[in-house]
Amino acid sequence: MSLWAAQELESGQTYQASIGPLCLWVRRVEDEIQVAEQYTTELEAVTKAAHALQVFNEILPEDLNWSRWIVGAKARPLLLVPQLPNRGCVVRTESPLKIPPGQEATFFVSLPIWVELRLEGKPPLSLTEIPTVVRSNIWFGDAMAGELCYSLLSRARRLAEDADHPPHKAVCPVRIRNQAEDLLNMERFCVHVEHLNLYRGLHLLWTNQVTITFQGEDQVSKVDYHRQVPKMEPNLSLITPARTPLKDTLLKRSLGTFKALTDI
Amino acid sequence: MELLAQQIKWQNLLDPETALKITLLMVLGFPLLAALSALAGRSTRKRMSAQSNMLLRKGIFYIGSIALILSVLQQLEFKMGALLGAAGVVGIALGFASQTSVSNIISGLFLVSERPFEVGDLIRVGDTTGVVLSIDLMSVKLRTFDNQYVRLPNENLIKTQVNNLTHFPIRRLDIDLGVAYKEDIEHVKRVLTEVARNNPHCLDEPEPLILFRNLGDSALEFLFAVWSTKEDYLQLKKTILQEVKERFDAESIEIPFPHRTLYTGSVTDPLPIRLITEVNEETTT
Repeated sequence: MSLWAAQELESGQTYQASIGPLCLWVRRVEDEIQVAEQYTTELEAVTKAAHALQVFNEILPEDLNWSRWIVGAKARPLLLVPQLPNRGCVVRTESPLKIPPGQEATFFVSLPIWVELRLEGKPPLSLTEIPTVVRSNIWFGDAMAGELCYSLLSRARRLAEDADHPPHKAVCPVRIRNQAEDLLNMERFCVHVEHLNLYRGLHLLWTNQVTITFQGEDQVSKVDYHRQVPKMEPNLSLITPARTPLKDTLLKRSLGTFKALTDI
Repeated sequence: MELLAQQIKWQNLLDPETALKITLLMVLGFPLLAALSALAGRSTRKRMSAQSNMLLRKGIFYIGSIALILSVLQQLEFKMGALLGAAGVVGIALGFASQTSVSNIISGLFLVSERPFEVGDLIRVGDTTGVVLSIDLMSVKLRTFDNQYVRLPNENLIKTQVNNLTHFPIRRLDIDLGVAYKEDIEHVKRVLTEVARNNPHCLDEPEPLILFRNLGDSALEFLFAVWSTKEDYLQLKKTILQEVKERFDAESIEIPFPHRTLYTGSVTDPLPIRLITEVNEETTT
């Protein structure tokens, strides 16, 4: 059964899903949905197979904290929906990299996904979003102005095959062009994932391509979020639209935040 | 004042039309002003800071009130020239009598224009730390963490140092630590780095600062400085000290207390000590 397929919940029965380091337990008790989560380490997650919600008959861990939602007596299938993080993500390259003027490089970034618990129906009811990894925060910018982002443990890779491909991650192609007259020293960059769509391929989740054009130390960097479906795999289908569609924030973004986008 | 009162034609109140106009101005004008001020405040709440929003609301109300009062006076055929003339004389008298109040008002204007803090900021003035509730003409009101209402005269705020703890989006928490002389400095640094990395409220960047600061009297002294967002600062403070202690215990890193070694001569035997328990046993047998 697909990780993202809908699951009918029988009253009184506990279900469990495993997506990367995240272990998720769900149960329906009369008119309530109860949800608990626990994390293993990234290393343990590599060896653990991801699986969709399935009946869980073992003994529950004692230290689970259950969250509860009143959803009505009528049973509705529960859908796990992959979402991109709700803030920008800062990613580092494997080692410092220099891009001379006029050159460009493409990087592949593995973005951890969030799992949205959504009850099907008209209208659908979104219960919560749970990150599949333990989050780590980073301040992107200087101490007086900047923005709070997530810090990614995985590194940006030059080849798509080298990027992490577990089921709890989506791959984002980022093209960086140096149109300035100076050498661009790349160590890290920020991807504003809230503007990206999520697509499902045969084996992987993909996002739109992002192009960052470096125009000089004291110039704003130009950032393009491509609207087209990425051509990394044939027959990619849109699974989750962007949280913040780009057209609403283009002006603000191009004037403000992107000045520090590459932090270089 | 008597002179000013004589300038008002009170007999106009006997005219039903004028009386009706004045009544309407007074009865409808102030509620309308209050409603207009609230409406302006509500419609700009999302676009403006809390302070600008408050200034807008108060500005509309005060300017509108002055306009209303002048309109009423106009209905009573009051001559403004007399008011302005009287204001000069009265102003001098009042100026002497209300130096503190005037000073507070002028200081308030400076506070509003300079904007060292805004409504909602956390500030420290002397020994008082609290969240700014309002910045008024005469004073600034704070709510302290133990839920006290504190009024600080504007004049004092202009004269003294004010620390705005939430002006910038991130804050650094400085922790002074001491470990025993026998400990490996690199090991201590590694453990502190891990503590910072594992705390969810601690930012990865700016990176935590671990500074071996001094060879103290009884300990190797470190500065452990970690960053968090201003919202997470209290949570970080609450958790990280405990985590440091727990990790130090787990890694058998000693946090020393002040040591004094006593010598009775250049090279001597230790001071003789007699155990009290032995004394007790002797006395009981």
